[in-house]
Amino acid sequence: MLVDATKETIIRLEGVTKAYRGVPAVKNVSFDLRRGEIHALLGENGAGKSTLTKIVAGVVEMTSGKMFHRGKEISYASPHAALNAGIAMVFQETSLVPSMTVAQNLYLGTEGFLNRLRGIYISAQQFLQSLNFPVDPTAMVETLGAAKRQMVEIARAVHHNAEIIIFDEPTATLTPEEKRHFFALIRRLKSQGVSIVFISHALEEALMLSDRITILRDGELVSSGETSSYDRNKIISAMVGRTLSGELYRQRDGTQLRKAGKKVLSVQDLSMSNVVRNNSFSIFQGQITGVFGLIGSGRTETFKVVSGIYKRDFKRGGTIELDDKPVRYAVPRDAVNDGIVYVTEDRKSEGFFETMSIAENLFSGLLAAGREKSSVISMSEMHQLSSEWTQKLNIKAINENARVVELSGGNQQKVVIGRGLVQKPRLVIFDEPTRGVDVGAIAEIHQIINELADQGLAVVVISSYLPEILNLSDRILVCRQGRIVEEFSPSESTEEKIMYAAVH
Amino acid sequence: MRLSQEQIVASIAVLIFAAASFALPGFFTPENIVSIVRSISVLGILALGMAIVIIGRGIDLSAVAIMAMSVAWYLQLLNDGSSDGAALMLVLAGVLCIGLLNGFLVAYADVPAIFVTLASGSFVFGFVRSQLITQDAVPVPSGHWLQSLGGLRFLDIPVEVFIFAGLAFLVFLFLRYTKWGRYVYYAGDNPVAARNVGMPIRPMLVLRYVISAVISLMAGLLTAASLHSINTRVVNSTLLYDIVLVAVIGGIGLSGGKGGVRNVLYGAALIGIMLNAMTIIDIPLIYQNLIKSTILLAAIIIDGFLNPRDEQTAQQGDI
Repeated sequence: MLVDATKETIIRLEGVTKAYRGVPAVKNVSFDLRRGEIHALLGENGAGKSTLTKIVAGVVEMTSGKMFHRGKEISYASPHAALNAGIAMVFQETSLVPSMTVAQNLYLGTEGFLNRLRGIYISAQQFLQSLNFPVDPTAMVETLGAAKRQMVEIARAVHHNAEIIIFDEPTATLTPEEKRHFFALIRRLKSQGVSIVFISHALEEALMLSDRITILRDGELVSSGETSSYDRNKIISAMVGRTLSGELYRQRDGTQLRKAGKKVLSVQDLSMSNVVRNNSFSIFQGQITGVFGLIGSGRTETFKVVSGIYKRDFKRGGTIELDDKPVRYAVPRDAVNDGIVYVTEDRKSEGFFETMSIAENLFSGLLAAGREKSSVISMSEMHQLSSEWTQKLNIKAINENARVVELSGGNQQKVVIGRGLVQKPRLVIFDEPTRGVDVGAIAEIHQIINELADQGLAVVVISSYLPEILNLSDRILVCRQGRIVEEFSPSESTEEKIMYAAVH
Repeated sequence: MRLSQEQIVASIAVLIFAAASFALPGFFTPENIVSIVRSISVLGILALGMAIVIIGRGIDLSAVAIMAMSVAWYLQLLNDGSSDGAALMLVLAGVLCIGLLNGFLVAYADVPAIFVTLASGSFVFGFVRSQLITQDAVPVPSGHWLQSLGGLRFLDIPVEVFIFAGLAFLVFLFLRYTKWGRYVYYAGDNPVAARNVGMPIRPMLVLRYVISAVISLMAGLLTAASLHSINTRVVNSTLLYDIVLVAVIGGIGLSGGKGGVRNVLYGAALIGIMLNAMTIIDIPLIYQNLIKSTILLAAIIIDGFLNPRDEQTAQQGDI
């Protein structure tokens, strides 16, 4: 943990801001990285960690601010340029070419004009051995597991003589044994003078491994310093300690909470590959169940299995009971017909129909399920449905023939929600209902969700945003490593308590 | 206001029509116009089937093989002395099987449509030609109803024109006013969303290929009716590309979810007028093919510009 004060600064960011369509993901952050240090970057989902490191690695361009590399002001236009300058980034989803061998991936982009495969296999073998990585250089990358892929990624970064390596959630997919190897490697790289930036949700790892810690919240730098000056509690309160509360995110006391109604859904020992592991929980009518979890905790996957989009493991996959009757859905259609509607977190790629109008999008909900008995389409029914729901949900557009892709994020989200509600569900699952939605629409969407629970529906809200969870939920479930690990009552819990349960 | 592709195509068709009427003797005569409409009837019918598949984000390259080989087999059975009803049932069953096979492989085995239908088309051609028929061209037996159908006229207009119009109207009703027809558009626009909202995506896919196969059979019967025989060498001609040309040039986006029967009609009109004019000018067939292929390529490129797939905004990671 000893940090040499004379160590030179290798990367310095000054007042860096990055905005996506005017919404800042990183606000005026200043950050520095010293030679040969391990620097942990911590924060909630969406705090801006990935964006900040992507700016350093040339993946995204900053909107304003300055970056100095070895004292020179510079801005890398592409990951390739950054790599040539010695900055490598190891992504959460690996960026290897699956259909090539390990050796080919290692030398990708640096091949000579003519390549002798045997030659690169031999040098790759030697290189991997020098790193102590048990990976076969002739193996296809697609046949490797997550840990080995990561080793190849790291080897590639080292091979490019990177002096700075950025790891985005490197340990999320590793087993404990693999983690030990990984930490040993990180330390070895450090002793060779490589600077390492390490994004993680695992606080223990950050505390154990890093020399310095920087904590981001809502795109702003909230705390930075020597690791020895931090402990778990201090990090968590820095991660969640918000000043923003106001009208939108008000904590409720016990009397405002809805009582649980009849049990609708009961899940036992649900498993799906290694993403959802022996997950058990229940959902009740007439209240909102908030589900909090960090990325990779399996919360989305769990509820996609419940709504028939994914299939649980065939053997030892656990049981799902709807009204005490066991169900196993092969397709979402069966779940929809049983009254389970899932409102996706990714509305663009699996939510709405972009070339179609609001009316057609809303109508698809009615057409799809067995609710529409007639095979003949009635245009007047479609327009009536559309005007009814655009009014009910206050969807704003020039006219009902406007294409959904032209609407604002909030209105798109309302269309997707409306389409689900048209199907008259009994259990609605909202996955990140306010992601990419403006503040006004957030309040309206929260109101819609509250009304549904008041009407007696079973409502699930999955969110990464703690104030949203605390404000909406009558009951909070925390998901970690593929299972629900703890349950809270919002009147008794705080952001710190929930975050404490979610990190590991 | 920006012109849509179908408006552009319609205006080009009108322009060529006017120019040809003015410049080419014998173009603007009732006989020639009837022959234009007649020539595009079979092509248009095949394009209707293709359109249904393309709107659902697929493609059917087995259409021409199914059209020619099913009818060749049917005529062979008749010539060998089978009863009409039995032969027709047998052929219809075969066509349904191929449609089901195409659909099953695309929907349930997740094989790309282009490979499935390419392979099934070759299989149909090879199997029927080698096992079921004895020569390339099979004649319609004399006195058969197909012969009289081919000679049928109403107001001096050949009957296939009415059949094309009738089928176009039926497909229009299907796509526009039935639940299953609307599913085609939703699945073509965003298959994942369509699945999530609860549409029966896979059965729908199978249905589309079955419809396409049955429409191909009808087109084959009409061809036999007007030519009094079916020549199986048409499978290796450019007819398949003409079908795709008609659908794509009319404005049915290959990216799915776009277009309808109207686009087929515009595409068929443009291609019919163009082919007829080129024949009157006496452009050799090889140059006609060159011109057609250039137009197809241009249409696909324009389609790519007008109906881009927006990958950028689909990537929303952890910010």
